[in-house]
Amino acid sequence: MTIDIGNMSRRDLLKSASVAALVAGAGSLAIPRRGAAQDANTVRVLSVEDPFFFSMKALVPEYEKETGIKVELESLSYDALQSRLVSAFVAKTSDADVIVVDQMWLGQYLDNGWIIPLNDFIAKDNEFDLSDFIPEVLYSSNIWRGQVGTLPVAAYAQGVMYRKDVFDELGIAAPPTETSEDWTWTKYVDTLKSMEGKSFGGKPLFPTVVCGSQPSPIVHMFTQVSASHGANWFKSFPAAPWDFSPQLTSPAWIKSVEVYRQLYKLSPPEAINYVWFDAGTRFAKGDIGMFYWWTPYFYLIKNSGYMTGKKSDVMEKYATAALPKAEGVPQTVSLGGWSLGIPSSSERQEAGYAFIKWATSKATQKKMALWPDLNYQFSDFARVSLYQDEEVKAIYPYLDVQYAMMKQGNGKVTRPPVPGYTAVESVLGLTLNQLLTGNEEPKTGLERANSLFESILKGNLMIPYQKDSYADSLDGAKALIAKK
Amino acid sequence: MHTTTVRSPRAFGPTRKSFIRRNLPYFLIAPSVVMLLALIAYPLLFALRSSFYFWNLQIGPEPLQFVGFENYVQAFNAFDFRAALTNTLILSMLGTTLEFTFGLAIALILLKALPGMNVVRALLILPTTIAPIVVGFLFRYLYDPGGGLLSWLLQSLWLPVPAEGILGSPSTALAAILLVDIWQWTPFFAIVLYASLLAVPDEILEAARLDRASAWTILMRIKLPLIKRTAIIIVMLRFMQIFNTFDTVLVLTRGGPGTSTRTLGYSLYEQGLVNFNIGLVSAMTWITVLIVNVIVALYVFFAFRNEEW
Repeated sequence: MTIDIGNMSRRDLLKSASVAALVAGAGSLAIPRRGAAQDANTVRVLSVEDPFFFSMKALVPEYEKETGIKVELESLSYDALQSRLVSAFVAKTSDADVIVVDQMWLGQYLDNGWIIPLNDFIAKDNEFDLSDFIPEVLYSSNIWRGQVGTLPVAAYAQGVMYRKDVFDELGIAAPPTETSEDWTWTKYVDTLKSMEGKSFGGKPLFPTVVCGSQPSPIVHMFTQVSASHGANWFKSFPAAPWDFSPQLTSPAWIKSVEVYRQLYKLSPPEAINYVWFDAGTRFAKGDIGMFYWWTPYFYLIKNSGYMTGKKSDVMEKYATAALPKAEGVPQTVSLGGWSLGIPSSSERQEAGYAFIKWATSKATQKKMALWPDLNYQFSDFARVSLYQDEEVKAIYPYLDVQYAMMKQGNGKVTRPPVPGYTAVESVLGLTLNQLLTGNEEPKTGLERANSLFESILKGNLMIPYQKDSYADSLDGAKALIAKK
Repeated sequence: MHTTTVRSPRAFGPTRKSFIRRNLPYFLIAPSVVMLLALIAYPLLFALRSSFYFWNLQIGPEPLQFVGFENYVQAFNAFDFRAALTNTLILSMLGTTLEFTFGLAIALILLKALPGMNVVRALLILPTTIAPIVVGFLFRYLYDPGGGLLSWLLQSLWLPVPAEGILGSPSTALAAILLVDIWQWTPFFAIVLYASLLAVPDEILEAARLDRASAWTILMRIKLPLIKRTAIIIVMLRFMQIFNTFDTVLVLTRGGPGTSTRTLGYSLYEQGLVNFNIGLVSAMTWITVLIVNVIVALYVFFAFRNEEW
């Protein structure tokens, strides 16, 4: 048989193709929704693979045994998690019953109705104790427009880590464990400079290490300096009325860039490409004198690599200290971390809440801290009681320092979790990265970033802000907590 | 008495048969057309429509308003987009040129019946089979200024290595990305060109040698013209692939330092999967599609000017 395709008209071809496409479309309707046919006795949890994940995963069998509920726990990288979640939300598919939510996503997820507020669950739950949580943490990471959107499973502040042996040998005074007017960023830089050009243990010593990679890593580290100096991103946020006119040209921003530039000059030059873990593992290598970073590094640097369980060279040789502050400016510490929320598409929201309650409970969090594998790798507590627990403090001796930093935290100021944050973060990250490597004046770079901020925010309908503002304050969060 | 009526197959047999025969071509091409529509045409049309709307998933779950060409204006006005376009063009042009040149050289060596060539041929295909993201991590270690093999090698040869490392300096980072691509994809050119060269008839080569033609003349006048079509096609395919370079950039530099290694692929990823600005990323996608198509159309026009294909 011969087929004469040449005799087919284009119209006929398109006609048959359209029909075929319709048939294919109709066929797709028969495909069951992902997760729809799951066992009612199962709870699906999507997580990021940060340190808390490992100890939480180790305790899941215990939860399954206690409740008879099967937990399907899946971990993804940060970017993969975010894109998968958003794809599922947009497609309105039920991909999970519990999801890990970064503080920066909270507003977006709640405003879009992608996750449900937990207020009703908490109000109905007589066993649940909201007052044990550090208010600053809940305010920064979990509360948006007066709603508790998530509960914290791992809370991060920032703090200083330094080599005790290096300081002793070079005769440098140890930094304080509490915030003080004498412990300023100027003093911090001077202390680092006293290590410049020195060797230790026969190896050249770098005074410090920073993150230079764009966009998020450099912004995460830099914003601690800018927050300490009182730099605000926007004209008015989180206080009402919200006005997102960018403020990057203020003296506080310029000063912060100057400080960060100095820190980079005192770091290994390749730090320009360092992401979060690069900076931490570099300190663990043993040729860095002192650096500041997220508090999980207080324990992560005990290992030679990320969650390897192999002890690092600095395991017994480092100590922690308070963050420096700027002269005459009240200290603001950057808070971050991970929380658990329930997608509105979940068909097992009660089971989801039960898992969240378990994972964020004092008992579970303590067990996670006491889990010995991988060399004790969890102390990211959001609960006050765990900072006072002697058994936990025996393993994590720096908890007083960490708690003091937490109490000065304000995540809504350091990296405002506003809708569209990532777009302005990428501009800031790129600008900072360029300012570290080039000879451009900080003022010029920041002016450029400011105008890009403005055009992005206008393009995203944030200037002028067209939705309702919300007077968001720590006191408001405390009042909400007290209601429970 | 029990009777049964038997219908003649002629009742509708010929009609059904002729219907099938008449429409068989449609049935045969339908799956391909459906796939084409589902995987290419629909996403492109969806992106075209989205590119005229303000639609950012961080602001709201649905398109908020019609903005005309505003997204296109925004894309062109973003200085990092212009840098990304420049870097992408540099990578694509240089990458395909160098990979073709080195690939051809390797293919010509493979034609020689040297000892161990079978093993070399087998090993040659390995880099192409590794996922780009894995290759990125591999080279991250090789470029490491604190003991990476490539950094050490350059220093041993008295060649200057920037203090920030090969990936940390704007002057060397893009070249480092290019080198990764060359390492991974030159073997692809080598294998395909080698296979084409094997198909060149020995009689023609023998005749040329009898006429005392030099190796260079044989290459330029006989071998290359005979493998020209294959060469044009693989260069075109590779050009389009490099134009979408993303994974290695993400792993090695995240587009930095500054904008020195930012590519269109990386910018699309950032706007689409980090910033979730669907309107803007759709406009950027269409700009990219148009640029690639214009370049490929010009390339095909000139490459096949005197050819029938």
